[in-house]
Formats: sequence, structure tokens, C-alpha cells
Amino acid sequence: MQAMAVVATLAWVALSGVARPAAAPQTPQRQPTPQRNIDDVDVQVLPVRGNIYMLVGAGGNVTLQIGRDGVLVVDSGSGPKSDAIVAAIRRLTDRPIRWIVNTHYHSDHTGGNRTVSKAGRSIPQVAIGAGRLFTDADDVANIVAHENVLKRMTTQTGEGASAANENRPVATFFGDEEELFFNGEPILLIHQPSAHTDGDVLVFFRRSDIVAAGDIFVTHSYPVIDIAAGGTFGGYLDALNNVIHITIPEEKQEGGTYVIPGHGRLSDEADVVDVRDMVTIVRDRIQSMIARGMTLDQVKAARPTLDYDDRYRASGGTWTPDMFVEAAYRTLSPTAVKAGS
Amino acid sequence: MNRTTFVLAATCAIVGAADVAAQRGQRIDPVTTAQAAAPVDLTGSWVSIVTEDWRWRMVTPPKGDYARVPLTPEGRKVADTWDLTRDVAQGNQCRPFGAGNIMRMPGRLQMTWSDPHTLKIEYDAGSQTRLLHFDKSRKPSGERTWQGWSVAEWEFVGGNGRGRGGSARGGSLKVVTTGMRAGYLRKNGVPYSENMVMTEYFDRHTEPNGDDWFTVMTIIDDSRYLTQPFVLTTSFKKEQDNLKWRPTPCEIAPPLK
Amino acid sequence: MKPLLFLILASLLSPGLAFAQIDLAGDWRGVSHEDTFSRGGVVIGEYVGLPLTDGGRLRADSWDPSLLTVPEHQCIPHPVTYAEHSYAMNQMRIWTVIDPETAQVVAIRKRGTWMEPERTIWLDGRRPPPEFAAHTWQGFSTGRWEGNMLTVTTTHIKSGHLQMNGVTTSDDVTMTEHFIRRGNYLTNITILNDPVYLTESFIRSSTWVLDPTLNFVPYPCGPNEVVVEIPRPPGAVPHHLPGTNKLLAEFATIHGLPAEAARGGAETMYPEYMEKMKTMKPATAAATR
Repeated sequence: MQAMAVVATLAWVALSGVARPAAAPQTPQRQPTPQRNIDDVDVQVLPVRGNIYMLVGAGGNVTLQIGRDGVLVVDSGSGPKSDAIVAAIRRLTDRPIRWIVNTHYHSDHTGGNRTVSKAGRSIPQVAIGAGRLFTDADDVANIVAHENVLKRMTTQTGEGASAANENRPVATFFGDEEELFFNGEPILLIHQPSAHTDGDVLVFFRRSDIVAAGDIFVTHSYPVIDIAAGGTFGGYLDALNNVIHITIPEEKQEGGTYVIPGHGRLSDEADVVDVRDMVTIVRDRIQSMIARGMTLDQVKAARPTLDYDDRYRASGGTWTPDMFVEAAYRTLSPTAVKAGS
Repeated sequence: MNRTTFVLAATCAIVGAADVAAQRGQRIDPVTTAQAAAPVDLTGSWVSIVTEDWRWRMVTPPKGDYARVPLTPEGRKVADTWDLTRDVAQGNQCRPFGAGNIMRMPGRLQMTWSDPHTLKIEYDAGSQTRLLHFDKSRKPSGERTWQGWSVAEWEFVGGNGRGRGGSARGGSLKVVTTGMRAGYLRKNGVPYSENMVMTEYFDRHTEPNGDDWFTVMTIIDDSRYLTQPFVLTTSFKKEQDNLKWRPTPCEIAPPLK
Repeated sequence: MKPLLFLILASLLSPGLAFAQIDLAGDWRGVSHEDTFSRGGVVIGEYVGLPLTDGGRLRADSWDPSLLTVPEHQCIPHPVTYAEHSYAMNQMRIWTVIDPETAQVVAIRKRGTWMEPERTIWLDGRRPPPEFAAHTWQGFSTGRWEGNMLTVTTTHIKSGHLQMNGVTTSDDVTMTEHFIRRGNYLTNITILNDPVYLTESFIRSSTWVLDPTLNFVPYPCGPNEVVVEIPRPPGAVPHHLPGTNKLLAEFATIHGLPAEAARGGAETMYPEYMEKMKTMKPATAAATR
């Protein structure tokens, strides 16, 4: 008995030294992540709100609306990861893909049209929304866009022309807006003229309170103004201000209407305001330089984007600050304005 | 109770008392030195990083600028009659470099152990030295000095620092300083009296990018010149060498305005 | 019986060290004895002690306080990079979130008054959201106890002001904090890293005192409080073109500082800058509107 007491005591003494309550769990240290292009990550799904999802990593961001009517897809990525997009949709639902809406014609947003469309099927001979959109084929999902998207994709020459033709939309509209009603939700397609291109569309999910903005709003680089495709700096700024007009924050100027950018992270009105402010300030600077008669090279040398370069310089050098400045200069200069370009 | 059982019970009592003592920051036992028991290593070369109160620390503010110092009317009166020339003439040019303000002076400091129970802080600003005494049996001489007499102790958290049951889980340095000559809380003559009691807590923190810092929280109690405890926090970043160590005499520039 | 009594005696004499998380809950009042003006009274052009990049400096130079009157700017709260050391947190309320099943603390919540910045610090080990998730003004915070110090890492922060004079942090900023409670004092040490606008880590610290009698008065800004204060064309953004902001010289002139010092930069944080300033002349140009 005495030996047992000794052993028990020694054991207790030892345990009282080690049996401390466990420390709080150690959360892993997150190192700051350098600015990188999240278009190149594996396709990942981010639930946004309700039945709306954002897919990243397939080129441009992809938006999904899923419900009993099927799946509506906003943009289809760049093509090489189209199968991954379809696979991601299949993980979320087995309902058919009915609609693809293209925000503009660029291949990083339309490159997967054919693959994604062929993975779905339309509702044959049924009008959607206002009754202006029909399809002839019922064994593929419909591809909807502004008619300028169809024009750009069917008149494209050189590399990519064949793919563009295959991925072209077949249901187009030419007015300021188009209406859809799908999965119990009104969806407004708002044409933004002469912005990123001449065929840009905002896709506004009214009940979900989400805007899929295409490349009218991006967070990973300076806004791209595709002058050759009818984009203008002024039109781009008008488009951003229109996004701000239709978005409403929930409280403390955040949340509420979410904005899915063409590239980059999920955003809200305040994030769009941040970009709008930047674009406006850069415009004002360049306009003042133009008014003083500065040449393009002089304007570039003056570095009117210095305070934003480290944030918006795109990785990989695909859209540089100089390119952005040049696009602004060319579309803001009086001769450009006069020529209507 | 037999002999063996008694020894075991006594062992438990001693260990338990040591645990309690460790939690209260007292010396663990007569054998362990403060240096050996240190739960954090504050030794090395450190530089003050002045991101706060810049125009009260990097330059000499104007006389009468004692914004946010909770002075009594007597304290304000003394501050309003500050005269730099008079201080120098009377040999009091080290008043802003006393213990009450030395940590706020932009500069570099070096911390070393002058003996296993005494931590030494040397400042290049004003060429000042503070000794932090862990051995409570040592007493001050009674003479007031610019740096006063500092009594130090470790505050342990979650262990006794000796590795029993696992390594120490960190801690801080607590220092209480008294016995100072009257000095200045700021370069421009905001006063503290010789009755001031200063309590400091030194915390070390290492950041994800590898930078080593310590931040000292200073609480100054002075019933003569302050209406409430005056609380400041000051940060220092570790430097890999002391190549920029530049001891200077007690000297401040006149106010810019 | 004797051994049992002995064990009972031993356990009484040797209390286990119950290492518990330190309770930060309560109403806290800011002890504003330092850094007072940076918390709400900083001057246009005052960049001393800020490790700004050239871009960060230009961004601040271009800022016009009128921007705050633009409707979509009016209700923006202080972002967490600034809120913790601003007057918005002069009155601060902290409470804990308890898992009802395990009774463990899973999070700490903090709230200030002006514009009601409110944040959650998760203590349950969860990982931050993916990099393409939305950012918020208060970011996403996770914490862990390191001894007596709660170390918090915050990411996913929106771009916002670091000081209310146009000095801005980008949305690439990350923040590390250390909360230390000593009796009735609570100290927060904040270190910011911003690869866009800061060349080095930027450290600040603040202290609060526990005040159970605090009259915590929220100051919300709701949608019905957004008004058009100044009629402007749609989309107008007040700002100063480069080189035109005549207010930038005021800070240095008022305080007799060299103009160069007022421009900030990492070197102004280090003690050797005092020697450099001895070679500079004070700014003399008066600011005019």
C-alpha cells in the first residue's frame, strides 16, 4: 500500500507538470500573397449568394445561376478549362445547362462556349422572358449576347478566327437592354456601349442582387480598353458609374449588391467605387496633360498612374500601365474624340 | 506518516509553492538566476522606430505644447516656464533623458546582462545607462539619479521557466523605477517630479516577416504633476549589429518655433 | 487511508497551473496620451514617420477631403488598418462568442462607435477565405494565444485610409496585432505590411482602460443619412492634380519643420534622421488656397 502511494504520488507530480490545459489551437501563419493572376489557378467555386456561384481559374471569371429550370452560365472561360467548368457545374447540380450569356467577345470569356453549350440543352421552342429570344436547336444550350459580340466573333481574322466562329452566340439583341426570367428570377442584360468593347453587357440578377460585370469591372489589372473593338475610356467610365448606380450596399458601405468581376475577386459597390475613382483621377490627369499639348510619350514619362501602378500592374505584362495610359490618351485626345473613336 | 511519505508530501508542497511563485513573477528559487530564468530574450541591439508622436520626439516642440499630457495646474505652470538655456547653465541638460522619457527619445539601445541578476540598458541618446535589478536584496544608495533605481521581475505565463512539464510559454519583463531626479516627460520641459513611480512592461514579439520587436508599456504615476497615470507604448526593432550606435551627450535642439 | 489522505494533502499543496485565455471582454475607454492627432486631427501633407512609397505619397497628395462628401463615400467606416488607433475606437466594446455545444470561446468580437466598425477575431483555428473572396473594411481575422499575448492576423481588407489626410492602404495590406491585457489596461500593437504603399512594416500601438461605467454610444451611418451635400456632375471625384495641392506645405510651415521631413518616408522613422534634419532649412513658404 505504501509503495502504491509512492507510485501514485510520483505519477501525480509528473502529470501535474505536463497535464496543462491545451493551448489555444495554433492557426497557421498566412504569409502575404504576392499579386498574382488567379485566372491560372485550378478552377475553384465560390458560393456568392443563394443559387449564384462564381468560378475562377478558367480564364475570365464564370458566373453560375442554378435552379429548377436549369443552369444559366455567364461567360464560359478561355477554352482549355471548359471541361473543368462543366465538371464544376456537375458537382453542383445535375440540372441541364440552358443558357450561356456572354458579357463580351474576348476569347477568355467565350472560348468555352462550344464545349459548355454542347454539355447542355435548351428548352426547345420556348421563349424566355420578354419572348424575344428563341433558339432553333434544342440539343445545345443557347448562347446569348449583344449583337456586336456576334459581329466581332464572325468577322475576326487571323489566329483565333476559327475558334471564335465556333463559339459565336446565336441569340443576340441590339437594344440597350434585354430581359430574361430564369429560375424564378428576373435577369437584366444591360448593354454598355463603347466601354471595354462595343458589345459589353452587365448581367444583373435582380432577386439575388448580383451583377456579373464582365471586363467592365476587374480587380487584377488596370481596366482594359480595347480600342480596336470599339472600347473608349469615356464609355468605360460611364459603365463603371452605371454599375455604381445599380448597386446598393447593405450597411457601412459594404455587402448588399455583389459584383462579380471579369477577373479578380468578388466585390461590392465600394470596390467598384475604388476603381471608378482611380479611373476618373487618371482621366483627369491625362486630360489636363492633353490640354497642355503634351505628346503621348511626354504623358507616359510624367507617370500619371504612379500611385496605382504597384496595385494594378497586371502580372505577366499583358496589360501594362503604359498600355492603359495610351488607351486613355488615344480615346481622350481631341482628335480621337472628333474622329469618334 | 513515515519518512518516505513525508518526503514525497514535502516535494509536492515545494513544487506547488514554486508554481504559485512563478505565476506571481517572483524568483523561482535561490539557485536559478534571472538570466537563466528569462522567459524572453531582450538582449541585443535595438532601434526606436518613431511612427507615433513624431513632432514631440524627433524635434523639440514649442514651450507649452503638452497636448494630451494630463498635467495638474502645477505641472502646467512648470511646463510653461521651461527654459532650455537655464537648464544647461544649471547642469540639468539631462532632464529629458531621465528614466521618465529615455524610452521615448529616438535612439538605439543595447541590452546586456551586467551580471546574472542585473539587466543593463545602454542608450546612445544622452549616453545613459539603466540597471534593472532582479535581486531584491539589493537596495539603492539613497542618492537620486537621472535613471533612478529599477526593480525588475519576470512575468511568466503558463510555466515556471525551468522546463518542468515542458518549456516556458513566454512572458514579459516588469520594471518598477523610483528614486529619480526630477526630469521631463518631453523634450520641452513637461515635468515629472522626483516622487514619480514608473512601471514598465516589456513584451517581445516576432513578426511573420522575421522582424523582431519589443514594445514597452510605460505607466507614470506622479501625484504632484499628473492628474492620472500617464500611459505610453513605445516600440523598438532589433538590429543585427550595432554599427549605427552613436553615443551622444545630453543635448537637445531648441524648439523650432 | 493514510496514503489517500496524503494524496489529498499533496493535491491541495500543489495547485495545477490552469493556463486560461485572458479575458478581453468589457467596455474599454481609449487612453489618448499618445499619437492623439494621428487619430483624428492629422494635417494635410503630414507624412512624418510614415514609410511611404512614392506612389503612396502621390496618392495622399492628390486626396481632397471633399471626397468624403461624395454620396458613395459618406458612410465608409474606418478600415481596420486605421480604426484600431482612431477615435472610432475611443469607446470600444469587446465580447466573446461561445460555442453552445462545447462552451469554448470560438471568437472575440469588437465594436467601436463612430461609423460602428465591428470585427470578429476567430479563435477556432479556421483558415482565411480564398484570395478571390470578397474583402471587407474590417477584414478577416484569426487569432492565437502566445503566452499572455493574443496575436491576430488580418487579411482580406478593403483599400482605405491609414490616416485621414489621404494616406491610404491598398487592398493588398495585411495586419498583425498583439493584444495584451494587464489588469485594467489593454494594449494593442499593430504592424501593417502593404507592398503597394509602404516600403517597410508600419507599427503603432494604443492602450485602453477598462471602464464599466462607459456610456457606449454607437454613431451609425445608414442609407437614409447619405445626402447630396455638394451638387456635382454624376461620377465627379474631387482630387488635386499632381503639383497643384497648395495645402501640402502647411504642416511643415506651421511647425517649423523642413519641408522634406514632412514628406515622410522610411528614413523619417529612424533616430539618425534627427542629424539629417540639422542640415535642412525649415519650410518658409506660406500655404495659400
